[in-house]
Amino acid sequence: MTEVPSIESVLVADCGTVSTKLMLIERVADSYRFVAQTETRTTGGAPWNDLSVGVAQAAQELEGITGRQLYASGRIITPRQDMDGVDAFVITLNAVSPLRVVLAGLVEEMSLESARRAVAGTYATIEAALSRHGALRSPQETWARTIRDSAPDVVLLVGGVDGGARRPVIELAEAIALAASMLEKDHRPSVVYAGNAALRSQIAKLLGDITRVVIVDNVHPGAETEHLGPAQSALEQVYVENRLRVAPGVEALSAWSRLPFVPVANAFSRVVDFLWHREGNMDRGVLGVDVGAATTTMAAAFGGRSYINVYNHGTASGLVDWVQAHSLDDLLRWIPEPLDADSLLAMLHNTELLPSTVPQSPLEVSVALAVVREMLRSALDIARPSWDITGANFAPFGSREVMPRLDPIVISGGGIVHTPRPGQALLAVLDGVQPVGISTLLLDVNRAAPAIGAVAGIRPLIAASALEAGALVSLGTVISLVGQTKPGETALRLRIRYDGGRPLDVEAHYGELEIWPLPVGQRATLEIRPHRHFDIGMGPGQGGKVEVLGGLVGLIVDARGRPLALPRKADQGWMRALKRWTLDVGG
Amino acid sequence: MATPSCVMNPLTTVRIPRLLTRPGDLMVRAGESVEPSQIVAQSFEPADFRIVDVARELEVPVKNANALLKVQRGQAIAEGDILAARGGLSRRVCRAPISGTVVGVGRGRLLLEGDPEVVRLAALVPGYVVEARGDEGVVIETIGGLIEALWGNGKEAYGVLRMVVRDAQHPIRVTHINASSQGTILVGGATVDEESIAQAASVQVRGMIIGSLPASLILRAQEAPFPIVATEGIGTTPMTQTAFALLRSLDGRDAAVSGDIGARWREKRPYIVVPMPTQAGRSIDASGRPAVGDRVRVLRGDHRGQSGTIAHLLEGLVHLETGARMPGAAVTLAEGVTIQVPYANLERLL
Repeated sequence: MTEVPSIESVLVADCGTVSTKLMLIERVADSYRFVAQTETRTTGGAPWNDLSVGVAQAAQELEGITGRQLYASGRIITPRQDMDGVDAFVITLNAVSPLRVVLAGLVEEMSLESARRAVAGTYATIEAALSRHGALRSPQETWARTIRDSAPDVVLLVGGVDGGARRPVIELAEAIALAASMLEKDHRPSVVYAGNAALRSQIAKLLGDITRVVIVDNVHPGAETEHLGPAQSALEQVYVENRLRVAPGVEALSAWSRLPFVPVANAFSRVVDFLWHREGNMDRGVLGVDVGAATTTMAAAFGGRSYINVYNHGTASGLVDWVQAHSLDDLLRWIPEPLDADSLLAMLHNTELLPSTVPQSPLEVSVALAVVREMLRSALDIARPSWDITGANFAPFGSREVMPRLDPIVISGGGIVHTPRPGQALLAVLDGVQPVGISTLLLDVNRAAPAIGAVAGIRPLIAASALEAGALVSLGTVISLVGQTKPGETALRLRIRYDGGRPLDVEAHYGELEIWPLPVGQRATLEIRPHRHFDIGMGPGQGGKVEVLGGLVGLIVDARGRPLALPRKADQGWMRALKRWTLDVGG
Repeated sequence: MATPSCVMNPLTTVRIPRLLTRPGDLMVRAGESVEPSQIVAQSFEPADFRIVDVARELEVPVKNANALLKVQRGQAIAEGDILAARGGLSRRVCRAPISGTVVGVGRGRLLLEGDPEVVRLAALVPGYVVEARGDEGVVIETIGGLIEALWGNGKEAYGVLRMVVRDAQHPIRVTHINASSQGTILVGGATVDEESIAQAASVQVRGMIIGSLPASLILRAQEAPFPIVATEGIGTTPMTQTAFALLRSLDGRDAAVSGDIGARWREKRPYIVVPMPTQAGRSIDASGRPAVGDRVRVLRGDHRGQSGTIAHLLEGLVHLETGARMPGAAVTLAEGVTIQVPYANLERLL
């Protein structure tokens, strides 16, 4: 961490795949607040091929808003000079291609599975996974050919518990050495070794003369233990060195800021960690979802441990690949009107070809939100197994099929924050994440969360102050019921006591979303009485009294049950229900 | 605001990077003139290789295998050559599975590397080499028409443009393709069907330029032996009038077509270059901001694919049917109608 003395103002540049945001944070009285923000197109690609061009343009637009000079002589003015410039300039970045990784390990269900989870912690794609697959002899020739032909940035070599298998790991290392030696020197992959600790010196000796080797703790040191942190840090470091530091225009940006670049996912994760520590609830976690153009990031915190998972598909890139691995029907089921598969596929292709365009019709919004829902579902499928939720009462519902309790849930990313109406973002997250029990949904309306996380790296107090000053806007409190009964039957009774008002007695019916007004900043006390078939985390039929906060949508009861019964294909009844739910949330 | 742009220009200076996929050798120098079919760079695809387990094949202990080798490191071998042999009653031989070179010997095994395959990269356009990029490739400059498209099937070719439809609304049909289409680059207005792609392949057309490619034909188009380029992307949107009018004016001229859209994360734009016998072309500045009078194309919504000019930049926000409000411009379309479009859904035509 780099300490910067006496910070009154911070400028944060967030260079995303599609857009570059510039945010100015300043001390106002005793707290730090977002003063202004601008957004322009990311200029890492043709015709600019220079990320600093977009940052400079955004700075000049910010000058127009603030009346303060921020950019002069071809650079951001820092440190501050009287009224011009800023005390610190921080850059978060993910406008680069992900690391290409080949996994090499012994057992698919053990070390390789851990390796996959380690890779998911950063911006990386898995090009191939090498293992014996039960064969008696090691297919070294095939392994070497795979590595040579895919020419990855990194080979993550895992396998063997500490003190366990030796020979098969060495055989993998030999194949990596062979493949690397057949590639040009500056095209050889780095090797991150996170396997049997007893082999470290042998691995270093075997590979060290051929390529760069990083040796870290075993991802799977014992049969029942997993230790991903060091391997994830090593991969993140390679990502910063091989991708961020060589991105077009980064040299100029580096000259403008003395502070290290922060990958957006890591910056976002810091905000989720902060919220977990602020809430201090050992019986529930905090989730952050960042649905971007090229990636979907899940940042979670449980019991003081944090988890980052980057899914390499977003709302404008990787869609066609995603469809090939899944199905168009998975998307079509979220669109509340008939749409043929060819038209949907054309829309997805054109979104990839023109990622900075925005939906211009309600149908296009429906398609975009269908994509958000499925990206969330797919990203969670990968993220959830890495969450350690066994040690506390996170999942009182007794089923791995439903989510652990999450409160709050932070919603960020241009793919979702730009939805025309807040209710649309809320419904997409309810459908994609399917939270259970009581959760507050916070919308990162200015997409400031990664910026705040980046600032937390230099001055945590500034970040905390900016968060408390309302950088995240509540969409509302959601009560999500686990259980099922006949459609239309009462699932929950509720007495709402507004501050200074008379109580309101209401009911929620199974299969429906029910919304009651509770504006931003207003509190209410709820007496909740679920039907005996339903659980809100207090046990079947058990209710209680809770105080909740309002939001842009209000107080929401999601009485559609968990897990949500999704059709494989949308029929007329499902489309009618989708339309009803969308109208209910004001979408 | 950095606004996206697309070149649709009848006479400009075009710079085409011709880059190898892996390091290789340049066959031309900076300043040299090149022809479309001239090889400007070449690289060697990684050779096949084999690990031959001599000890196992000869059924001898690893420590004895080296003594039985008939070849040594660096030696060239042909497929079937004897690599090692064991005499005596149980005579066994170990033969080379491929032709190539012995590049490694150790632990009872041989590493054989096959002969590499040469990949040659042609200039594609006539012009001058203005930049030689070490072992990566060259940049060729030519003067002529340039039309950037949205989708392509990854292939490229050089041939004669042949407009086969009367207006931008018309698709290419099988009736447009006959024996005289051989060697030409067919230009249509709207879409194409599967039968026409098959017919075009059978008469050996050089390429096909259309407005949009139906999503159902993407795989078929990718398999086609010639480049297919769609100016408007995927779907059924007809070719934008600006592109259609320009291509019609260039009918009968030689053109280079590239359908390369790059892999994910390395986006490229497909293009059509029509070289002209002239010394100077207008230079294009893609870095400017939108201004009144700019030619633009609408990228989404009901008017997708239509071109027009910016009538004025809106001070307020454009209210979309979706409920979103965004900064944008008033655009007068070719047909005379003026509509409001968010900047995000506009592309300047340069």
